[in-house]
Amino acid sequence: MDRRDFLKFLGISSGTAMISSCGVDKANEKIIPYLIPPEQDVYPGKPVFYNTTCTECPANCGLSARVNEKVYDEVRGLFPTKAEGVKGHPINNGALCPRGQASLFRLYHPKRIQRPMMRDNDGNFRVATWQEAYAYVTTELQAAKEEKKDNLYFSGRTTGTLAGLIGRFCEEMGIERLPEFEIFSHANLRKANEIVFNQPEVPHYHIKDADFLLTIGADILETFVSPVSNAAQYGEAVKNENFTWYHLEPNLSMTGLKATTRLAVNPHSEIYFLAYLLHALSRSDIRKRRPSWAIMNMVPDPSAEEVSQKTGISAENLEHLVSAFFIAKRPLIITGGVSTAQPGGLEAALLTALIQAAMGMNDTVVDFAHSQNYEKVGSMLDVQELLERLRNKAVGVIFISRSNPVDDISANFNFVEELKNARLRVGMSDFMSASMQECDVVLPLSHSLESWGDAAPRKGIRNVIQPAIEPQYDTRTEGDVLLEIMRTASGQKQGPDYNQYLIEQWHSLYGESETVSLIENGYIEEPVSPLSIAVDTRSVESYLKNTDFSREVAAQPVLIITPSIRTYDGRSKVLPLLNEIPDPLTTVTYGEWVSVSAVAAKKMGLKDRDEIQISVENENLNYPVKVQNVLPENVYMVQRGLIYAIKTDIDSRSGEASWYLDNISATKTGAVIPLPILSGSMHEEGRGILSSHESVVEHSEHYNEKLKEEVDVEEERIYPKHPHKNYRWGMTINQDSCINCAACVAACYVENNIPVVGQKEQLQGREMSWIRIEPFVRDDRDIEFTLMLCQQCDNAPCEPVCPVYATYHNPEGLNVQVYNRCVGTRYCSNNCPYKVRRFNWFDHRLPKPWDKMYNPALSVRGRGIMEKCTFCVQRIRAAEDMAKDEDRLVRDGEVVTACQETCPTKAITFGNLMDDSSRVSQIARSDEAYRVLEELGTEPAIHYLRKKERKSEA
Amino acid sequence: MKRRIMPLVLSAYFVLFIIFVVLLAYFWNRDSKTPVQPINFSHQIHVSKVGLQCTFCHDKVDKSTFAGIPPVQKCMSCHKNVKTESPEIQKLTRYWEEKKPVPWKRVYSFKIQNYVYFSHKRHIKAGLDCSKCHGEVKLMPQMKRVRQLEMGWCVSCHKANMAPTDCVTCHK
Amino acid sequence: MRSIDYNEQLEHEVLAALRKPNPWYWVALVICALLFGMGLTLWIYQMLKGMGVAGLNNPVGWGVYITDFVFWVGIAHSGTLISAVLFLFRAKFRNAFNRSAEAMTIFAVMTAGLFPLIHLGRSWFFYWLFPYPNQREIWVNFKSPLIWDVFSLGWVGSLRQWWHYNRLYIFLAAFATPLVISVHSVVSWDFAMSIIPGWHTTIFAPYFVAGAIFSGTAMVLTLVIPMRKIFRLEQYITLNHFEKISQVLLFTSLIVTYSYIVEFALAFYGDHQFEAAHFTYRLLGDYQPFYITMLICNSLIPLTLFFRKLRRSIVYLFILSIFVNIGMWLERFVIIVTSLAKDFDPYSWGLYTPTMVEVGITVGSFAMFFMFFLIFAKVLPVLSITELKEEASE
Repeated sequence: MDRRDFLKFLGISSGTAMISSCGVDKANEKIIPYLIPPEQDVYPGKPVFYNTTCTECPANCGLSARVNEKVYDEVRGLFPTKAEGVKGHPINNGALCPRGQASLFRLYHPKRIQRPMMRDNDGNFRVATWQEAYAYVTTELQAAKEEKKDNLYFSGRTTGTLAGLIGRFCEEMGIERLPEFEIFSHANLRKANEIVFNQPEVPHYHIKDADFLLTIGADILETFVSPVSNAAQYGEAVKNENFTWYHLEPNLSMTGLKATTRLAVNPHSEIYFLAYLLHALSRSDIRKRRPSWAIMNMVPDPSAEEVSQKTGISAENLEHLVSAFFIAKRPLIITGGVSTAQPGGLEAALLTALIQAAMGMNDTVVDFAHSQNYEKVGSMLDVQELLERLRNKAVGVIFISRSNPVDDISANFNFVEELKNARLRVGMSDFMSASMQECDVVLPLSHSLESWGDAAPRKGIRNVIQPAIEPQYDTRTEGDVLLEIMRTASGQKQGPDYNQYLIEQWHSLYGESETVSLIENGYIEEPVSPLSIAVDTRSVESYLKNTDFSREVAAQPVLIITPSIRTYDGRSKVLPLLNEIPDPLTTVTYGEWVSVSAVAAKKMGLKDRDEIQISVENENLNYPVKVQNVLPENVYMVQRGLIYAIKTDIDSRSGEASWYLDNISATKTGAVIPLPILSGSMHEEGRGILSSHESVVEHSEHYNEKLKEEVDVEEERIYPKHPHKNYRWGMTINQDSCINCAACVAACYVENNIPVVGQKEQLQGREMSWIRIEPFVRDDRDIEFTLMLCQQCDNAPCEPVCPVYATYHNPEGLNVQVYNRCVGTRYCSNNCPYKVRRFNWFDHRLPKPWDKMYNPALSVRGRGIMEKCTFCVQRIRAAEDMAKDEDRLVRDGEVVTACQETCPTKAITFGNLMDDSSRVSQIARSDEAYRVLEELGTEPAIHYLRKKERKSEA
Repeated sequence: MKRRIMPLVLSAYFVLFIIFVVLLAYFWNRDSKTPVQPINFSHQIHVSKVGLQCTFCHDKVDKSTFAGIPPVQKCMSCHKNVKTESPEIQKLTRYWEEKKPVPWKRVYSFKIQNYVYFSHKRHIKAGLDCSKCHGEVKLMPQMKRVRQLEMGWCVSCHKANMAPTDCVTCHK
Repeated sequence: MRSIDYNEQLEHEVLAALRKPNPWYWVALVICALLFGMGLTLWIYQMLKGMGVAGLNNPVGWGVYITDFVFWVGIAHSGTLISAVLFLFRAKFRNAFNRSAEAMTIFAVMTAGLFPLIHLGRSWFFYWLFPYPNQREIWVNFKSPLIWDVFSLGWVGSLRQWWHYNRLYIFLAAFATPLVISVHSVVSWDFAMSIIPGWHTTIFAPYFVAGAIFSGTAMVLTLVIPMRKIFRLEQYITLNHFEKISQVLLFTSLIVTYSYIVEFALAFYGDHQFEAAHFTYRLLGDYQPFYITMLICNSLIPLTLFFRKLRRSIVYLFILSIFVNIGMWLERFVIIVTSLAKDFDPYSWGLYTPTMVEVGITVGSFAMFFMFFLIFAKVLPVLSITELKEEASE
């Protein structure tokens, strides 16, 4: 059933066109018309948007796919060209993270599996038909049953209708459904919540309602559970003048660098602090509920000095923190990530839960009623059990769906070998991952932008998954595969397909009219029954009885394996865009590295890119170094998304895999490994870029005075001032809100057809990003970030030096770059103090079929041409075109740039600086506004808002 | 004699280079003014004889940047019954039955199509007649390009009509 | 006053160089032609693949090509100066070098003229740099120093063609001198008109003109000394001539050295953060070896010319001239690359290493220059016979 039929079935006539063909745009080349025109008006210049769901990580944000009509391979068709957030979505409200922005690279990935595959007699893959595959799997299932072997279903986290269908499938086919597999299973957190509240779940945290936030290890702005939702909430919270945020972590994360105060703690010492805090709170009268004495007596009660000594937090800071907690009206404490994924992680999570209970957070900010649907997710214990069963040759057919266990847990388990003991391995995936290589039957799944479906990211929200493009290859949705296998097994010829199944489900759940709104809005909010959460004293007591709280604080160097904002747990590593965009903290792009603290690096004589050998027990790992300021001396960091081959401990109580390797030793090998580090220097040297710099403060005050007094800034100049007509486009960037997540960078790449140049070019220093995140070390204790893009200067140094007028100042205040006029002298780039111009050193067209994603609203630049940020001029022009139709000027907020649109915290505002009432000119006039390198007199159109003072303590 | 060699060598050196570039430019972009179309469609018959409006077929011209080519379905809505005996119409029917779109040849294009963003909509809304650029299409039995779409021509008209001459008007 | 015999002998000996091509000549010519061919091939390769085959990158948009350009323009202008300025000042020793200097000028302009094209990202649109009437009604940007460059180079080129009209000579010489100074000032404004620390400075015009004369004089020595030896012109190009020219060399070296000092003084006395940071970087940073070598070649070694004995040592002068050529090439390289490598925003700092393509094209440009010079040596009399005769008859 194609999209049109599906919608007809639902009785939606308003909707949505689908695809046929029409042709190319060059001299005398073919222009092919549609055979049948699409139902909805889609034509060049008018894209349509389909609200669907992002499936790049378990957070399942609402994704709005922009579909453009354009010509590809001499065929006119409709192609998704951009992923945007669904406006008003309860999770992400119009924003997406870099992974979500990059998901189009998955849709059009040339390495997707294009048709079903089976092993031939020699054990090589051959192309098969779906019928063949279904028949084979069905027979094997039967045969395995006769052999009294267990058939198993192993999949990644699944929610919504598909979860129900898998349940039904397993039931009918006599298959055992294994707990779902996620690397970041939050096992300790869920276990602790189970012990304390009888809720084995990850709750939904209402960050925006808190006035005091204490996060311990949880990188809430990067990968923790639902980062875009967290970030959006942070964006709200930070507007509150009284919002205070303490972040404690043994390592260094971008989240920590956003907190009002970041305190580094010694690895494995969090429980001392938490125990201290619990006692301090329960003794005071601000607590809402007193934890039972029995419990409190079993939790150690360290003195402030002891905590200070164990954790490394100074007594003063400890006192500040606790008193800030005391005066808060709505405090929120979250422990997770690096602080729960460690040997003492379960205790840390448990103490946190007790604090939450004592402060009554469960009624307000820690919300189990809207929990994150992790209850079916298993842990490493389940994987161990599975391997045991495989080893005992007790497994018949095993389905491996939407997960890559072979890579993900290769260090801990020899999954490949054990998997061979199963009778048959059926893989379902979109990529030929290492796990799929081990399967006998590989069934290609459609991308979520090619399929119908739904998802329940957390309780109370149902997202629709709907196609924005017809399946490009012979692929199916998982639901269809399961239904077909069931049908083959029962010998039925005809039956409902997954689409009909979905419709039935939706109709029965929501009724017909709600179903329509589900598809049109992309999501539906369901009422959830409130939960009364109370501490299960008995279960906590029985747990505490067997718990030893004394934890050895790491004295030797430790290696911490953190999640990555770019690749999550590694699953997004295949997307080239995410390799191209630098990791915001280190600015490393392609390749693997270990972050070494500046202190340790100095002691060992290490520089960036020097190779070191990390030895733990009998294993040696060699990586190039990225020297990381602010990182504590004996902490080394690698990103899990990049590195698989590290074996870590597994907590036998919860099944959480530790992210730590303790007692490592590191030695310099002497080799130097090419590693693209995009930042030329991490030291700003007081150049007036960072908001904290004196000259910036001075300049911004001066500038604001000028603005306020409305003194004409006219000075002596050779060339006359640019006249502006109706518009002077400008932007403000709120550096308090900006979390440096790089979503804007990814959005800019996709919106503006920016080339992805690859590692070799990046090593040469030829990155192409129009917008970038620059980290700068401040006083060796803190890192400040700034967002750098073309400042669209009024007195642009790039303009007068161009010999052919390829760059000029247009009447709307843009520094326009006319690509086809550019001869490539590169003088403009030389003369740009912000170095935001990018030269096309080669022809960098995306290889097929990735080039399907090109935005047809602007050109793809050829070699020898300079390019740069245009303030999304194609969007400005579209808005002006629309306004002209209605004979008016563009309204404030009508033009939304790509970076602004996807910003989770709404840090970017764009608009007309000539309009005094526009939001952007109001913000630009605020006391905090400053402009980068003001003293050069370039008169930028971008105004930054100075950061509030924050503290970071090593 | 010998005194003249040096300037000669020098000028020959630069002249040759320029000739080389001019030749290159000349052969770079050549296309036919009257491409042979897969079906011998006559605008003359459809406009002058039958009396169809341009927008009957090119219905996106006032909405979209492109005028649009009518879908085969639209052709067939009449030609199911009209003039079915004509061999050209039979060609059309064959395309329709084989579910293949007609591979029309483009007549008008910019030299650097990738870099030019021309909007039909804006020009129609400004009240321009189609013939201003496309010539007397209603008299053309075979579609013919009446002018090369060159920037100077665009700009002169824009200047005469006080239309914007900002580069981003067309180049993005 | 010498006899008619002298004139005959002069003709015979000077023109003798035109007759006997010895095998080494051919070897040299073929090698030059091959290297020139290699340079051309590399340029075509660069146009087909993209500028990326050069080692340039984001902060450093200009490198070896612009260095070569400024270097060759410098050589060209110095040739002009030798023939014109010294003519105006009636400097007799000029006659000996005149013809070579003129030839050198022409060939250097030809070579220099190629580099702005080579360094363009889209060389095939080079004609957009000329203000020719066109149907698009777009003009060039007269605010851009690069356009001033185009005009100034155009002037030099066309001037060459009238050069040999003797009647115009004195007028042209008078005209050429300010022209050379202004043209080379314009080349220096390519840099001075920018806002890049290290480039944006008012001393660039005299600094570059002096540098041009300095490097050009050295190049004349590099060319004339072997020529004099091979063609046995010792009688016409005498030690006195060499002494005079080495005095010019010494004088310009001192001017250049003064500029080096002034640059630093300005940066630090001005207490300008970016300028100071830049000059610290130039002296102590990644390109320090180049800078030090440059100082040695351009400022220290020429000081030896205070000794008369060395001024009259042909071998020494030849070696010295090679050092100066290297030093002056490095000077341009250091100015261009160090300024770009570290400018305002530390995030975008980056280093530049030339690739084999750039080296190849540079070698090709030298080969082209020497190839033309070798042809010149066989096709035209290397000394201006008229002028020598005039000199003799006075």
